[in-house]
Amino acid sequence: MSAAALRHAASRRLPGTLLLGGAVLGAIAVLAVIGPWITPYNPTAFAVRFRFVPPGAAHWFGTDEFGRDVLSRVLAGAHYSLVMGFGATALSLAVGVPLGLLAAFHRGLVEEAIMRPIDLLISLPPVLLGLLILAVTPPNLFKTVLAVGIVYVPILARLSRAVALGLLEEDFVTAARARGEGAVSILAREILPNAWPPIIVESGLRVTFAILLGSSLSFLGLGPQPPGSEWGLMIAESREFLDRAPWIGLAPGFSLCVLLIAVNLFGEGLREFLDPRLRGRAGG
Amino acid sequence: MAEAAAPILAVEGLSVSYATPYARLFALDDVSLAIPRGEVLGLVGESGSGKSTVVLAALGLLGEAASVSARRAEFDGRDLLADAAALRGRRIGVVFQDPAAALNPALSIGLQVAEPMLTHQRLPRTEAYARAAALLGELGIPRVAEIMQAYPHQLSGGMKQRAMIAAALAGEPELLLLDEPTTALDVTIEAQILDLLEGLRASRGLSMLLVSHNLGIVGRLCDRLTILYAGRTVETGPTAAVLAAPRHPYTRGLLGALPRPEARARRLLPIPGALPDLRSPDPGCNFRPRCPLAVAACAEPQAMLPAGPARRVRCHRHALVADLPLLLDPVAPSRPSAAAPLVDVEGLTRGFGGPTLLRRRRTRVHAVDGMSLTIHPGEIVGLVGESGCGKSTLARLILRLLPADGGRLAFDGRPVPERPDLAFRRRAQIVLQNPDGSLNPRRTVEAILRRPLAHFGLAQGAAAGREVARLLELVRLPEAYRSRYPHQLSGGEKQRVGIARALATRPDFLVCDEAVSALDVSVQAAVLNLLQDLRDTLGVAYLFISHDIGVIAHIADTIVVMYRGHAMERGPADAVLHAPHHPYTEALLSAGAARQMRLVDTAPSGAGCRFAGACPRKLGAICDIEPPPWREASAGHRILCHIPVEQLARPGLRPGPAGARRPQTP
Ligand code: SF4
Ligand code: SF4
Repeated sequence: MSAAALRHAASRRLPGTLLLGGAVLGAIAVLAVIGPWITPYNPTAFAVRFRFVPPGAAHWFGTDEFGRDVLSRVLAGAHYSLVMGFGATALSLAVGVPLGLLAAFHRGLVEEAIMRPIDLLISLPPVLLGLLILAVTPPNLFKTVLAVGIVYVPILARLSRAVALGLLEEDFVTAARARGEGAVSILAREILPNAWPPIIVESGLRVTFAILLGSSLSFLGLGPQPPGSEWGLMIAESREFLDRAPWIGLAPGFSLCVLLIAVNLFGEGLREFLDPRLRGRAGG
Repeated sequence: MAEAAAPILAVEGLSVSYATPYARLFALDDVSLAIPRGEVLGLVGESGSGKSTVVLAALGLLGEAASVSARRAEFDGRDLLADAAALRGRRIGVVFQDPAAALNPALSIGLQVAEPMLTHQRLPRTEAYARAAALLGELGIPRVAEIMQAYPHQLSGGMKQRAMIAAALAGEPELLLLDEPTTALDVTIEAQILDLLEGLRASRGLSMLLVSHNLGIVGRLCDRLTILYAGRTVETGPTAAVLAAPRHPYTRGLLGALPRPEARARRLLPIPGALPDLRSPDPGCNFRPRCPLAVAACAEPQAMLPAGPARRVRCHRHALVADLPLLLDPVAPSRPSAAAPLVDVEGLTRGFGGPTLLRRRRTRVHAVDGMSLTIHPGEIVGLVGESGCGKSTLARLILRLLPADGGRLAFDGRPVPERPDLAFRRRAQIVLQNPDGSLNPRRTVEAILRRPLAHFGLAQGAAAGREVARLLELVRLPEAYRSRYPHQLSGGEKQRVGIARALATRPDFLVCDEAVSALDVSVQAAVLNLLQDLRDTLGVAYLFISHDIGVIAHIADTIVVMYRGHAMERGPADAVLHAPHHPYTEALLSAGAARQMRLVDTAPSGAGCRFAGACPRKLGAICDIEPPPWREASAGHRILCHIPVEQLARPGLRPGPAGARRPQTP
């Protein structure tokens, strides 16, 4: 008992990466939420007299070609990336995981009907797929989230199917079948609680990619529209002034970097925390 | 016992501990053993005893994390710990448990046997291959040239193990370390491998260390035994003497817990409790918490005391051990049931594979081929057969977890449809083999036991809580276990929870699919006793499936012997366990008959006997062509064979060295 308790307590020790990533991520999330109230300037107000002011005491990140304060714009734009990253991932989880589990449970026709279209989707490059989804209608934030979410459905569906296939062979699932439990009950009670660690770990990775893909789509003009200050969009708009006023593009670029690194650290920490194999290596 | 010659392997005071992040783990504590030249030493212990650590230590393969110390560790006068790397593969050969894992799947058998000769002895390629072929031939492998070219996946388990032994012998070792060499094999194959080892020892003068958890097999091969318990040697002595009159309570306990066909109708005596924590070894006797003889003085450190000729025991009360009961009182003989059958199976068939849209030529392989059997209320039907005979498939067919291709299944007089109703599901439950996989690792014991109650609407709220308490009591687990997770339980405890879960629905019929096979002997006995008691108190009928005829003999009222998807023999347990036997049953029961079984390599063709390919008593062409008849040996005891009953009653052993007991070496 004492040995088991010790193992249990030790395994709950949080990895440093998880804490660091979580802290940075939390800070960014707070800034994104309270951003509109703490921006030193109105992020969309033109000030023609103050165009291209380099970073300084008055404007920490300088101003852009319309004299807008870059720091204010970066703060006001933070929520876009977070919403795109986490929203799209949540969407692909909500759609992909049930699909994958169902495909694993019903081998045969249902599986084919689910997995073949998914194979098709997975063979297309993500940006292209996003473009296909977005190009036909006028873009906005919600649609970007939708597009990015759909792009990652196949990956999560495949992963959850693979994990579930392994678990379905386990004896405790046989015992559940011997009780005559239905598909939904077996998947929800027996499979999902055991399948979620790898799925959550993968989701952490997906958030990173979703932020990147969302920003890329914005960069191409398929995300939130001006004057919204989505970071990808800001970078796109700053391109012409890169030689004269590099800070206009560097500020959102740097912010994006910090966000991505934080998400990555968090995801890595989560993996360390949840993956029993890594934990086993530490625990002997 | 000739004690004169210097031992080839002499280990004294071997201690091994591992650093783990939370505590130091003491795997071996002052272990001593010696193997005289040309002798076989059996090292016996259950899981956690440290027996495999001994092998790895002798090979110098323990790795960085282990700290190893010994007062003396010599191989033929050389320092074993310092020279292990130079000795292993050359003068010390090793065979591990799982031949499937020990052979490289990407290399041909021939290369793997020849490799040591190419690398260690630097023989030219052709010569190494010629010697490898000769070795494989010596080990009884047919069609050597073909097998040399084959890859491991093309060989059966027994053939793979022979190839492994050949590879171990390729370096011309003087000492062979055998780590559970037959545990992954079927009993009939096991008998053949043991026979082979016996022959090698005689022909090559090999010394061997046979590590096993199985007292039955060490008895066949070893001159001396050393028993390990939780990292310490507890007893050592000549095999016959130790097995006939064990002097340590633990050895005695192991023997009492071992189910054997001869000791049928007696109650097994399990060893209570569990292995001590290896992180904080008890300076006194570490068997104390489980020992029926323990007294206050046992808390003192125990030395290995002399106890008779060439015997030593780590117990100061060893003189009293002989008085311990070996088996408990006989249980009441099973009553023949006159009632209508509860489960009635007729001609159940199920195949796998077969033609698909793309591959029309594939044939369907029948895992279960026309099985019939009846189980009466409260009856225990034991189904025995080796791996691949289709017994687990049959279990799933009977519970309708797999759709059948053909045949009828009736439960309590009514046919069971392909998709059975909840009433059938409630009344027919299953207990599964693998204690690690049979419980959902993310649920507490309480949640696991409450699920069937909720699913069948049997109890809710506080009533369900009381039901959980009743179930835990039934399987003799403390109530406090409610809140535990499976990883906080031992193997035997997990198995009890699995049984409790199956009993939650108050079933009339339980399928136990290898329900005790993954457990150590001492724990297995307790679970067997529990299952027997549950039958007696609750009147549940079991289909008890096992590869171990000892276990089946112990628990079953009726025995069905299965081979290649079909029943070979059936009848009341006492009748099946005594002659006349079906030739296959005979092989399961007697190592002598098993070693005459042929190496099976082809599935039978045509309508003949399914056992014809391996049968040691095969009559000739008739067995290949004509399906054998069911012969009535006595009331309810039927045998599927062309040989008449009167002839089957006489043992089929051919005279000669193969059938004889172990030859005594001078
Ligand atoms: S020393 Fe005591 S506790 Fe240990 S085995 Fe002997 S009698 Fe039992
Ligand atoms: S029918 Fe022939 S092959 Fe089959 S068991 Fe009897 S003797 Fe052996």
